[in-house]
Amino acid sequence: MILAFFRNLFRDLVRQPLRTFLTLSGVTWGTFAVILLLAFGTGIGKQQMKQFRGMGQSIILVFPGQTTMTYNGLPKGRRIQVTPDELPLLQARLPGIRALSPEFISSRNIRHGREQLLNTVRGVDVPFERIRNTIPGQGRFINEYDVEQHRRNCFLGATIAKNLFKGMEPVGKQVMIEGVPFTVVGVMIEKDQNSNYNGMRDTHCAFIPWTTYMTLYGVKYVQNFIVQPSDPALSKQTIAALRNYFGERLGFNPLDKDALFVWDFSDFERQFNVFFTAFNIFLGIIGSFTLLVGGVGVASIMLVVVEERIREIGIKLAVGAKRRAIMWQFFAEANCIILIGGTIGFLLAALLLALLPAKQLEEYIGIPKLNPLVGIVTVLILLAIGTISGLTPARRAAATDPIVALRK
Amino acid sequence: MIEFRNISKVYKMGEVEFVALKGVFITVQKGDFISIMGPSGSGKSTLMNIIGCLDTPSEGSYYLEGKNVSGLTFDQLSTIRNRKVGFVFQNFNLLPYASAYENIELPMLFNGKKGAERKARVDELLEMVGLAPWAKHRPTEMSGGQQQRVAIARALAMDPPIILADEPTGNLDSKSGHEIMEIFSQLWKGGRTILMVTHDPAIAAFSKSTIRLLDGAVQANGIPN
Repeated sequence: MILAFFRNLFRDLVRQPLRTFLTLSGVTWGTFAVILLLAFGTGIGKQQMKQFRGMGQSIILVFPGQTTMTYNGLPKGRRIQVTPDELPLLQARLPGIRALSPEFISSRNIRHGREQLLNTVRGVDVPFERIRNTIPGQGRFINEYDVEQHRRNCFLGATIAKNLFKGMEPVGKQVMIEGVPFTVVGVMIEKDQNSNYNGMRDTHCAFIPWTTYMTLYGVKYVQNFIVQPSDPALSKQTIAALRNYFGERLGFNPLDKDALFVWDFSDFERQFNVFFTAFNIFLGIIGSFTLLVGGVGVASIMLVVVEERIREIGIKLAVGAKRRAIMWQFFAEANCIILIGGTIGFLLAALLLALLPAKQLEEYIGIPKLNPLVGIVTVLILLAIGTISGLTPARRAAATDPIVALRK
Repeated sequence: MIEFRNISKVYKMGEVEFVALKGVFITVQKGDFISIMGPSGSGKSTLMNIIGCLDTPSEGSYYLEGKNVSGLTFDQLSTIRNRKVGFVFQNFNLLPYASAYENIELPMLFNGKKGAERKARVDELLEMVGLAPWAKHRPTEMSGGQQQRVAIARALAMDPPIILADEPTGNLDSKSGHEIMEIFSQLWKGGRTILMVTHDPAIAAFSKSTIRLLDGAVQANGIPN
């Protein structure tokens, strides 16, 4: 029975090559489109997330600003200034902070031999490494002795190290920052990052101990500080507690958003995830419509096939086929065509993804991958389309009146 | 075996009603070989279709082997067509893209018979109708007589007690027609009940008796040949 079914199907497909080709191509193209759209969609999402996380995972950035509300008889427009010694107190008083680092930023001349560049210099604390993922590829990051003893040690981003040292080993060498010699203690790994909140991207930065920064450049107040909450889900509560604490201590209304400007990355990440899920659903729907058009093609072709084979249906009914058997035959045939078309589309998409020069495009679109989710979604869509486009012809076939059919 | 009690069949074509059969009573005993004759439009085919459970009567009741089949559903009638009745048509009605073997096998596919069992039965039938060497050939490669023999083998596949033949020799030359009738005679002698529609008195002569129809009514019944 099953063998006879496939023999029939094969015979049908081979008998009319052009029609078979056109029918299959609709489904093939649809599947191809769905898979590529979903693969690129998830690839882009992942790449964006990766670049975004280059700034740090679930961090909270705090920029001291100016008050816009009066507070306890104090006027608006006062500058809020935070000294670095406030930060250890904050961490001691406020639960829910895993790590904390002040940040000082300015543009400085950096020189090694004849190479001289104007790049961003950041004064930071030890936890900065973990908060912002400035992972050393060679050497190490700034450590607690560097901070304690105001050492003139620096940690370089990969690009700036390359530009200054031109392939030479930088660790242990000296660079001049504004004419002051610094020892390179480490170089950061290459890192993807699409933007930065201040100064250049991390790969273009030199990092020095914040204590050294304050002494050398005569700065008293932090430009901003970075908080990493213990639980990203509780970031809102941590921010509220932080505003309350500083409001009382530095004298501003905790509701005054501009006194402390806060950028919550975990919130951003949540929105980002929602956006990309919506984006992928959107792409999936567009792909599904393409596939639906292919399915409509299969349905109309199958209706023609039913009409052509009306005598065959009549004969089968006359020798004892039940209506259900006829219905299943045509339903299964429609689904087989869709399955074949889908498989070809799937293979073509997989081939294209394999041949794509992904490495060269990675920075912009990530690496589009055939992940299991894409596969499952595509199969589900194909099943739905198969059911829709198989049902009408199958029911038409099953409703055949054998007497009328045999007279033809 | 077959009993019609006051069977009528009315076709509606829009406003117009066409009466194909009116108040037909017939009884067919097991082992009968009956010819049904009558001019075109006298209701022969309708009668055959109702006997073969391809069509249902508008009025009256039809008893097959003592069981009333008038109220059965289409799928229940399918089972009866499969097991109780074998059809032979004037234009053979074979599947054009299937081999003789596959055509004969067809009724057994709707019955869940096992592969080996099917093969044994098809081989036996091919042998019986003298077409064993033609098993792999398609109907388009065969003569009319050969095609009709394939059709007879298919009708016998499920070993039904009743054979219904609608002008089985109508598309054949007289020599092939006689060969076909020889097979029917053999089947009848083997104990099967046969009903056959024909125009040709020479063909009707093979049967035991004749029913004459005119304008949807039985004009004469049980005329011995």
